[in-house]
Amino acid sequence: MARRRGLDSKTLKRALTRANPHFLMVALTVFQVTAMLLLAFKSETVDWQAIGYAVFMPLASYMILKTFIRLWPVDRTLVILILFLCSVSLVTLKDIAKSPTTSNTQALYMMIGFVAMGFGIAFSRMRIDWRKASYVLMALAIPMAFSPFILGDWQYGALNWIELSLGGFTITAQPSEFVKPVLVICLAAQLSNHPGIKRAIFGVSFAAALCGVLLLQRDLGALLLYFLTTVAMFYAATSRLGLSLTGIGAGAACAVAAYNFLPYIQKRMAVFMNPWSDPMDSGYQIVQALIAIGSGGLFGMGLGMGLPRNIPLYHSDLIFAALCEEFGLVFAVCLLAVYALIFMRAVSIAMNARTSFHSLVAFGIAFMFALQTLVIVGGSIHLLPLTGITLPLVSAGGSSIVGTMAGLGLLIGVSTLNAEAEANDLRRMEWREGGGI
Amino acid sequence: MKRLQRCIRAISILVLCAFVFTASWFGWTVQKQSGRWIATSYNTRLSAARKNTLIGNIYDREGMTLASTDSEGNRVYNDDSRTRRAVSQTVGDTLSMSGTGVETFHAATLLGLSRGSLLDTVMNPSASTQGNSIRLTISAELCRYINKQFPEGYNGAVSIINYKTGEILGMVSMPYYDPEKVLNRSEDADASGSGYLNRNTQGQYAPGSIFKIVTLASVLEYLPGAQYASYECNGIWTYEGGQVTCAGNKAHGTMTLEEAFAQSCNVTFAKLAYELGAERLASTAKAFGFNDTFRFQDLILYDSSMDTRMPTIGDLAWTGVGQGKTLVSPLHMAMIAGTVANGGIMASPKLIADVITPSGNKALRVPDSPYGRAMQAGASDIIGGYMRTTVKNGTAHNADISGYTVCGKTGSAQVADNSDIETNAWFTGFVYDNEHPYAIAVVIEEGGSGSNLATRLAKKVLEKAIELGL
Repeated sequence: MARRRGLDSKTLKRALTRANPHFLMVALTVFQVTAMLLLAFKSETVDWQAIGYAVFMPLASYMILKTFIRLWPVDRTLVILILFLCSVSLVTLKDIAKSPTTSNTQALYMMIGFVAMGFGIAFSRMRIDWRKASYVLMALAIPMAFSPFILGDWQYGALNWIELSLGGFTITAQPSEFVKPVLVICLAAQLSNHPGIKRAIFGVSFAAALCGVLLLQRDLGALLLYFLTTVAMFYAATSRLGLSLTGIGAGAACAVAAYNFLPYIQKRMAVFMNPWSDPMDSGYQIVQALIAIGSGGLFGMGLGMGLPRNIPLYHSDLIFAALCEEFGLVFAVCLLAVYALIFMRAVSIAMNARTSFHSLVAFGIAFMFALQTLVIVGGSIHLLPLTGITLPLVSAGGSSIVGTMAGLGLLIGVSTLNAEAEANDLRRMEWREGGGI
Repeated sequence: MKRLQRCIRAISILVLCAFVFTASWFGWTVQKQSGRWIATSYNTRLSAARKNTLIGNIYDREGMTLASTDSEGNRVYNDDSRTRRAVSQTVGDTLSMSGTGVETFHAATLLGLSRGSLLDTVMNPSASTQGNSIRLTISAELCRYINKQFPEGYNGAVSIINYKTGEILGMVSMPYYDPEKVLNRSEDADASGSGYLNRNTQGQYAPGSIFKIVTLASVLEYLPGAQYASYECNGIWTYEGGQVTCAGNKAHGTMTLEEAFAQSCNVTFAKLAYELGAERLASTAKAFGFNDTFRFQDLILYDSSMDTRMPTIGDLAWTGVGQGKTLVSPLHMAMIAGTVANGGIMASPKLIADVITPSGNKALRVPDSPYGRAMQAGASDIIGGYMRTTVKNGTAHNADISGYTVCGKTGSAQVADNSDIETNAWFTGFVYDNEHPYAIAVVIEEGGSGSNLATRLAKKVLEKAIELGL
């Protein structure tokens, strides 16, 4: 801190306004209650499940926020924005999913996700030698990434699912979702404290190995996320623009080579270039998504109206199209703005972090989160080729929710460390100025 | 740390720009294209909306009802069976069997779903239960006449447009189907599958000699003095790797460019295309709309395509005479003929005269602007003169109407290497007349030489259009 003298009541005031989330919390509650009540009374018979949601969602949100605040000095605005995305997810799924259990399962996953977030917060607050810890994490991540080869099955042209049977219970999971935060921690540990090329190369080659595994599994969406996050973190850590751009160039060259050698990528590109040439088969997903988005128009068909179930994967990958049909363009753009806000909030956490490791962790998580949003939204609106990844926190899917929440937990953990450090600064300042402010 | 923060800030700004770009592109594309996305036969929502909404009527340009909804909510089409069939693919049907018809492509308008702009949405927030009616530019009587005069036993298409405004006056595709029977399911739907195809807009035909209009436009632009030179034809031109022949290997002897055009001399035009080269020929064709992605708001017109690289002499020579890999739709061909008549400016095709809202007012519509200038006015005058000569004493003499300046060009497009299969007969041309600015394209599949069936039909259609005074 170079300007200690300048930090007085102004800084405190800023810190105080930032910490006042009551208005946001009220808005969140209004959204949850009105949306769920609308769904409850939309048909002749009253939907008691929706009424249950209308009661328990605000309660659960309040409890989660209170618990986190009690335990750590978390960034409340960030938590509320995350709660908002979860609410959008539950409202949409409650409305469009065929079976009433889908939204219940999703709510359960979210509760598990918030527990995972707690673990993430505690984890990133640990005072350990992160470089040594990262070797352990790498040793864990590699078998996790390989697990679909042994336990998995091909689905939608990709091998990214595993199936575990534990005493009658069958759990399906997508390991790449859990590897995401691990990748960010390992890279941050390897790249912290402005490393030279020699030191950086180890972390980067670990990331490259993971990308290779994903290519074998044909999980192109995750591959893109891993690759660009690695490049962005490498650039942030080393500030070597030339080398980073070379990395992007190499990635692009690999993509061109893959395009020439792998027919399934050619097929995907052909579908992207002209989805209407085969609207019933290969172009079916994007064509139905566009029809839904077009039907929604500016203000949507209205919650509970429209036919979003005509969209394939309407509850997972293409939920954005379903959202557009129900809520319309204006809401969808606002939702994008919420993602952008979370990203900005996360970046400010990264900028305020006290060590380069924590800064890189926060930045890596933020970047991956924003990139994932942009890729799937771009895919749904035919700006980019469609790849099979989820809309973070909104799409149905346990692994995605829990993995994303754990990652955001790391980010919030960094924010708690920042808050504590800031408080220490202020206390020291008070002491220096000899008395209260 | 300072450097780290700087890099993070740089990347974050990039990401935020990506967010802004995605949101803007999203808004733009929804505003611009959502109508096109909705209006497909793959949209299962339309059939749901049709159950709850009173679908608007469809009229021809004189106000004759082509499609309406009766008191029980059933969709009914024109009483006269021939009229109904003549306009079947243009009007379409509510089952979207003919996927490009007005019933499908303008379903959002007919159902009152198209909330086009922000202003519209704010003004009428609730979707009404009655749709808008549409008045088309086609004349049902003319379509009926074309349907009746079309040679028995042949397939094909006739497009006639107003070349000044781009309005489609008649559009008939053979074979046809009966929408009434489709809706009552009394006709086996697949039995006449190709009847659902609108050959005028969806047909992809080799143009044959009518493409010489485009080659000629390129010659006039890039080879100055070509029209004063004289050309030699001995019926066959052998180049490295192949040969181009004139119809029946007939030698045309020495002639001017005008005579070569009027006699449709393949050898001369193949040599001229070779002289032009791929780049210049392709650039002229591009100005005429080849290889473009057509996005007209009134109708779906399939793209016309040609090979732009043409690596061998044979590719160039055959493209120049309209064989090669070139494919064109009849409506596009009528637009090309209209360009010649319209001083080199191609009008955008229009199918919708008015949209009438449930309250009886005309909705405000901004028509497509002209497609663009395809050639200089001087060149179009010369080509028009050549086409006049072709009708006066060339291959298209069957199209001449006394008292009117009919200009045209015939084509006999080979569809197979097998000479047992008859060629597709083409005629394209226009009436050079301020009162009757009609451009026409006729294609009769396997109709033999273009100067026979196609040209005779075109003459009858043009006479009828003049008589109706459209």
